[in-house]
Amino acid sequence: MKPIEHPNATSTGLDSQVKLHVADIHKSYGSHEVLKGVSLTAHAGDVISIIGSSGSGKSTFLRCINLLEQPNSGKIFAAGEELQLVPDSRHGALKAGDAKQLARLRTKLAMVFQHFNLWAHMTVLENIIEAPVHVLGVPKDEAIARARKYLEKVGLKNVEDKYPSHMSGGQQQRVAIARALAMEPEVMLFDEPTSALDPELVGEVLRVMQDLAREGRTMVVVTHEMGFAREVSNHVIFLHQGRIEEQGNPKEVLVKPKSERLAQFLSGSLK
Amino acid sequence: MIDANLMIENFPSFLGGGSGEAVLSTSDGLILTLELLFYSLLGGLALSIPLGLMRVSRNRLVSGAVWLYTYVFRGTPMLVQLFIIYYGLSQFEAVRESWAWTYLQEAYFCALLAFTLNTAAYTTEIIAGQIRNTHWGEIEAAKAMGMSKWLMMRRIVIPAALRRALPAYSNEVVMMLQGTSIAGLVTLADVTGVARRIYSDTYMPFEPFLMAGLIYLAFTFLFVWLFKLAEKRWLAYLAPRKH
Repeated sequence: MKPIEHPNATSTGLDSQVKLHVADIHKSYGSHEVLKGVSLTAHAGDVISIIGSSGSGKSTFLRCINLLEQPNSGKIFAAGEELQLVPDSRHGALKAGDAKQLARLRTKLAMVFQHFNLWAHMTVLENIIEAPVHVLGVPKDEAIARARKYLEKVGLKNVEDKYPSHMSGGQQQRVAIARALAMEPEVMLFDEPTSALDPELVGEVLRVMQDLAREGRTMVVVTHEMGFAREVSNHVIFLHQGRIEEQGNPKEVLVKPKSERLAQFLSGSLK
Repeated sequence: MIDANLMIENFPSFLGGGSGEAVLSTSDGLILTLELLFYSLLGGLALSIPLGLMRVSRNRLVSGAVWLYTYVFRGTPMLVQLFIIYYGLSQFEAVRESWAWTYLQEAYFCALLAFTLNTAAYTTEIIAGQIRNTHWGEIEAAKAMGMSKWLMMRRIVIPAALRRALPAYSNEVVMMLQGTSIAGLVTLADVTGVARRIYSDTYMPFEPFLMAGLIYLAFTFLFVWLFKLAEKRWLAYLAPRKH
């Protein structure tokens, strides 16, 4: 993979627009604290990779951003709004204070999942137009045109009427990316998008993600793909036991790690 | 020996005719059976979708109430339910004096009520089971796309659950078709009721009940075939890929 230029990278010195700011997220399951104060700021065009061994809390952190997991404390700012969080009486974590606001913010933070999570009873086209039509209120013909545009972008042809179960994992994940794109989100969240794929299918998904990064889309990616983290992202965060152990420019952090744990992690994952 | 003539002569009775009257001049026989089946299935299905949602509710009171309803109606024979509604309720003066009595004194309405409540109970459990079977990932995707709970139920959870419920529901429809045969025991002239009438007129039991059986068989075949078509259309995504 070729290194790419980030249109609005912070290194240009311009005060670029903050698309997503997550501050000091704590999350516990019972007495086990999975996240011990993790923060992240994504400016427009940033591609942030979150790496770490399994159990480091990286997926949990990503899922706290759109409240698929309820953090115990922390603040979330997205698309110029602070998400209102109030205590959930059921288990002491935080929940959205305003369901409408949460729904609105979620439409701006489209997510791509490890297991694709396409709606099995809908065709590819129906999957992609579903939320634009019924959540955003986009007219159906416009949503269909949008869907076709994004299917082309992810490199899929003649699949509109297929059901997800009749496609390969790589194709399904590209449909899921098209579905996320069709929301025209401010930030895209990727939760280990290639971890469930056969090795020979990983490349096709990574290439699509690389294209998106090149377009200047703001992305937060939880990944095990060190090549992607190094070559495509402009910022990498290494999580260890619920804390940010090290972060920075991947060219430096991944090449000359300062922390021993990151060095250890990299020697285990880079072949 | 089977008296084929008797069967041919009496066949119009199953279609609402007989003794010089034209076929379909009354709704006795097949029409009544199909009517009872159709309306009770329609009512049962309409009830079972909201009841199925309540059955999987996190509120114990709500899900418990629906559990009790399905437990009672699945735990007792439909014949007993019909007798309680038709014969049992008239025992109470309050019932006889209420507005509902206009309906409850009619065997037709009582049968419809018993059948509807019975099939609604079974269908509720079928649908609730399929709602519970919804893949959690599909629910997360719906949430992450900003869907409200109600929209997610309406667009994702219920349509998928209803599709997956088709095979079990086809069973329920066939069982209900056979179940309507008890309508004759509260004076109604459904297919089985007509067969009983012919038997008491002619003292020939075998022929009329054989006719009735053949009619049920034919409609079972038809319904099973229709559901096959429906599954082909709405469950295509579960079928193995064909290319």
